Amino acid sequence: MPSQPHGAAFGAVGDVSPDAVAASLGRNDGGFGRAQETYFDHPVLHKAHWGWEIVGYFFAGGMAAASAALATLADAAGDPRDGALVRNGRYTALAGAAVSGVLLIADLGRPERFIAMMRIFKLKSPMSVGVYAFSAFSATAGLAALEQARADGTIARNPLGWIPKGPRVAVHALSAALMATYTGVLVAATAIPVWYRGRRHLPAIFALSAASTGCALQNGLLALGAGSPATSRKLEVIETVAAAAEGLLLLDYERTAGVPGKALFGGARGRRLKRMTLGLGLAVPALLALPGLFGRHPKRGRRLRGLVTAACALSGGYVLRESVVHAGRDSADDPRAYLQHPV
Amino acid sequence: MRLLYEGLTSVTCVSRRRRGYKYPPVRSDTGFFTDVTLCIGCKACEVACKQWNQLPADGYTFSAESYDNTGRLSATTWRHVAFVEQADRIEPAASRWMMMSDVCKHCTYAGCMEACPTGAIVRNEFGDVYVQPDVCNGCGYCVPSCPFGVVAVEPKEGVAQKCTLCYDRQKDGMEPACAKACPTDAITFGPVDELRANAQRRVEKLLAEGREASLYGIDGEETRETGPLNAFFLLPDRPEVFNLPPHPVLPSRFQPAAYSSALVAATALAVLGVAVFRGLREGA
Repeated sequence: MPSQPHGAAFGAVGDVSPDAVAASLGRNDGGFGRAQETYFDHPVLHKAHWGWEIVGYFFAGGMAAASAALATLADAAGDPRDGALVRNGRYTALAGAAVSGVLLIADLGRPERFIAMMRIFKLKSPMSVGVYAFSAFSATAGLAALEQARADGTIARNPLGWIPKGPRVAVHALSAALMATYTGVLVAATAIPVWYRGRRHLPAIFALSAASTGCALQNGLLALGAGSPATSRKLEVIETVAAAAEGLLLLDYERTAGVPGKALFGGARGRRLKRMTLGLGLAVPALLALPGLFGRHPKRGRRLRGLVTAACALSGGYVLRESVVHAGRDSADDPRAYLQHPV
Repeated sequence: MRLLYEGLTSVTCVSRRRRGYKYPPVRSDTGFFTDVTLCIGCKACEVACKQWNQLPADGYTFSAESYDNTGRLSATTWRHVAFVEQADRIEPAASRWMMMSDVCKHCTYAGCMEACPTGAIVRNEFGDVYVQPDVCNGCGYCVPSCPFGVVAVEPKEGVAQKCTLCYDRQKDGMEPACAKACPTDAITFGPVDELRANAQRRVEKLLAEGREASLYGIDGEETRETGPLNAFFLLPDRPEVFNLPPHPVLPSRFQPAAYSSALVAATALAVLGVAVFRGLREGA
């Protein structure tokens, strides 16, 4: 060892008790030892600025996509009793697309900023893919709503009725599928540990959540109006299967996410996610639907059951989106998740 | 799935690809070589950058951790000097005080550029990653897509901002403000291949003197996904000590898995839907 040029200066620290020295070495409060793991625990990554607008967009967009898909399915593969679902589905899809557009623009700040995304198409960017999926979805949802308005007699003639039905429905269905799933790809394909750990789960979870909330919303609307119990039963079957798959995927996501997954599944956020999404959003509607799956629903209370199911499933779906977006912020702020747990 | 994805994205991708698209070999990319063993922590680079690029102050927070009251790179801080104080109480002579001037890495495969939906983030004629402020719409998707936590959205303007490698100065044949201001040449600017050769010589010299030194951003584990970095560093310790990730991820690598998940779920739901609506049809 060479002579100790700084020895005297640091030696003065020797007045401090050994315990205090050990504690200060353990803490990153200045005077790191060689075992330093992070830089004062400062974040390595920047977090997305997304707030409630984007949470709402993820939620409303997914629900609108599922409503559109249900209306399309009921129209193509259903029977005449499903007419109310086709109507409600088409109108709510358009309303959901409109709400989504307003939320997106609220996030960007100015309407013309949305147009800036249309100057190129870039398959590599899930944001670009999503913008085109959303645009195609909104346009075709408008066409479907026009068609419905003509069928209902609200308007005498559909000015865009010359657009062939086949391609219109195909684009509508494909863009709805993308709308329900691309948001999962959007968050998974980032450098945020809790999000990329869920790359195999999040897109599917978002799609299943869109399906379960969409079914619940349509069921609630049918319960309010004069929907056929047969249609409600179909929706309940889809909702229950989707909810079961969603719950299993969430649990598998928690299992495989490891330490970075704590941002979503640990602490108060994790407890709230389990209570609100797994419990209220998935388990309660499934339990309420269970007797009906075996054809044993009491005739009375159908309206109340539909509304309660819708309220529970929608709250669960919203909490899921909110938890995922907020967990991304905490994960970006946690340097250890990124530095110490490579993919 | 992987092949299909690679094929489709290579058609529309603006970013420089691993294979396929060739960057025009006009001249060598320019970049920074930042040598931590030469930095004296004067922060002239931070000040020169703010001054030349007319960036506002970030407030006057007192970190009470070190002489670093800046904290980290942000939309209005494009150079940041980290102060690493390794006080070794047991072996005082082994104590070190290291200063590291952090900056945008100008990656070969840039996560921000791949994520940008407007095409605002481009690679300019000097081979550097540049955000065009008049094109950026402030969607903020580049921010969580940067594996080094560099780019950020400026709340007042609402556009993403980061180091431009003094694009404007380079166009006039001048070196970037931080490199110009650095009094010890800890920051050097030039064609990347020249800088790399200098860096190799510097590392060999330091190692010969028995000091710790390694290069971050040329060919190590950290370049596995982002490719070589146009702004690279000479570090006397592990990267995480300076808040540099040892394994930065290129977010687009997660897309095949994510799109597969989406495809499987959407297909399964469609099959379920058709089965339920057909199976429970009237008279079925």
